[in-house]
Amino acid sequence: MRYLKLIKVFIKTSAQETLMYRANFWVSLLHAFLNLIVAVLALVILFGQTENLNGWNLSSTLSLLGVYLIVSAIRNLFIGPSLEALVGLGQEVWNGQFDFTLLRPVNTQFLITFRIWRLFSLIDLFLGGAVLLYSIFQTPQSPNLLAWLLFLLALVAGILILYAILLAFTALVFWNPGYLFTWVFDAIFQLARYPLGIYPVGVRIFLTWIIPVGVITTIPAQVISGQTGAPIVFLILAASVFLFLFASWLFNKGIKQYHSASS
Amino acid sequence: MNHRGGFALIKATWFSWMQYRSFFFVLAFGWMIPPLVALFVWSAAAGEGSLGGFTRGEFITYYLVLVLVNQITYAQVNWTVGDIIREGTLNHWLLKPLSAIYQALSSELAGKVVYLIFVIPVGLLLAILLKPEIQTTPINFVLSLVATLFAWGLRFAWGFWLAILAFWITRADSFLALQDSLVFIFSGMVAPIPLLQGSLQQIANILPFRYMVGFPVEILVYDLSNKAILFGFLMQLTWLAIAVLLSRTLWVKGIRHYSAVGG
Repeated sequence: MRYLKLIKVFIKTSAQETLMYRANFWVSLLHAFLNLIVAVLALVILFGQTENLNGWNLSSTLSLLGVYLIVSAIRNLFIGPSLEALVGLGQEVWNGQFDFTLLRPVNTQFLITFRIWRLFSLIDLFLGGAVLLYSIFQTPQSPNLLAWLLFLLALVAGILILYAILLAFTALVFWNPGYLFTWVFDAIFQLARYPLGIYPVGVRIFLTWIIPVGVITTIPAQVISGQTGAPIVFLILAASVFLFLFASWLFNKGIKQYHSASS
Repeated sequence: MNHRGGFALIKATWFSWMQYRSFFFVLAFGWMIPPLVALFVWSAAAGEGSLGGFTRGEFITYYLVLVLVNQITYAQVNWTVGDIIREGTLNHWLLKPLSAIYQALSSELAGKVVYLIFVIPVGLLLAILLKPEIQTTPINFVLSLVATLFAWGLRFAWGFWLAILAFWITRADSFLALQDSLVFIFSGMVAPIPLLQGSLQQIANILPFRYMVGFPVEILVYDLSNKAILFGFLMQLTWLAIAVLLSRTLWVKGIRHYSAVGG
């Protein structure tokens, strides 16, 4: 309960900060729509030339795009901004401000995960949901309750995997405070816009086993369009829990490595 | 004009950029990803046959050349100059006894070299792995080089006039986001221009973006007719002239309007 209350407070303070920059709302709205239009147009152009991309048609690829937008919106809503406050030049671990974060009487991993909220990402979340629903209504037989349930489980697993990857990379900052993993990750994450199956074998293995961003979007989209079922969903749920535990372990090991910095 | 000073500045900027090469390698990696994703998507869609008259090998060639041309012509000046105006560091530029264009050019050229040190080896490696097919004539090769040079000039001048809108508009970077979306769709990045449907293709042929990236690639990879090449060069030079004119006029007006903030 205490943690829920804290999250509420974090959201409230972030909202107050955001409200100081009201003109940014229109800029964020513009960016969200541009992002959506470009992504949809890319698919329309592609499927104007072919009906089938390794077994994926326009509506199932749109579902995948919807999942991609939802997952990246949730990342940008709180996971991304909260974790990024630690990483990089002039950030907390670099300048020693992390001391104050460690001293707070609350679980450190909880704090660094939920601290900062970028509420404009709700626009992207909404648009992603709209794309997903639209694509599902396009298909002739709509998914039943079980498929929806499995889809939600797969989506949660995907978000947990994303969080675990980001947390693990953030943990590396304790060994090397200045490096730019978020940008590398952003670049790789773009590969998750398209189904895993279209990539050459080497890239596919990389996106499944090494940096599993391909799994995050492909599996939920496959579940909702009925291409895959319960066993795979439980497999990635198990994998996501494993990754989460591993990343938390790595992060806590990293904290022990931390020695403050001063001017 | 003080040209010797200009060249000295270019050299100095290059040395200072090389100190941060890992940072710029990460940036270059990020810019390579969208065309590479398009490469994988189109070659998967083409499969063993062909799509819109292009085989898989031709898509691979098209996009590998495009990665290179995109990197050569990418104008980062449109991001940096805007920030410099907003933050008031433009003062340093104005006080030096050099034309301000050298300041922009020096970071542009320094950047180019650093990025290409990364992109050329990676491009060669990809070429070995993916096995592109290429048939071209020496004349087309030379024409393509010339078109690349103009494309860079166009993208630089075009970026410059957009960037110096920052003299009047605080969030001029929204225009840049819009511009990036337009480039992605209409420059031949999301799909080769000949594969765009109907009116999209006509729009692409008229807008400047094809002449910033796609046109030089098309000359090299596709068998464009003499008429098409001539039309392309005419459009490219027209847009270049417009962009240079706009940059000059806006710069002169903007400098008069400019007043720095802070100290």
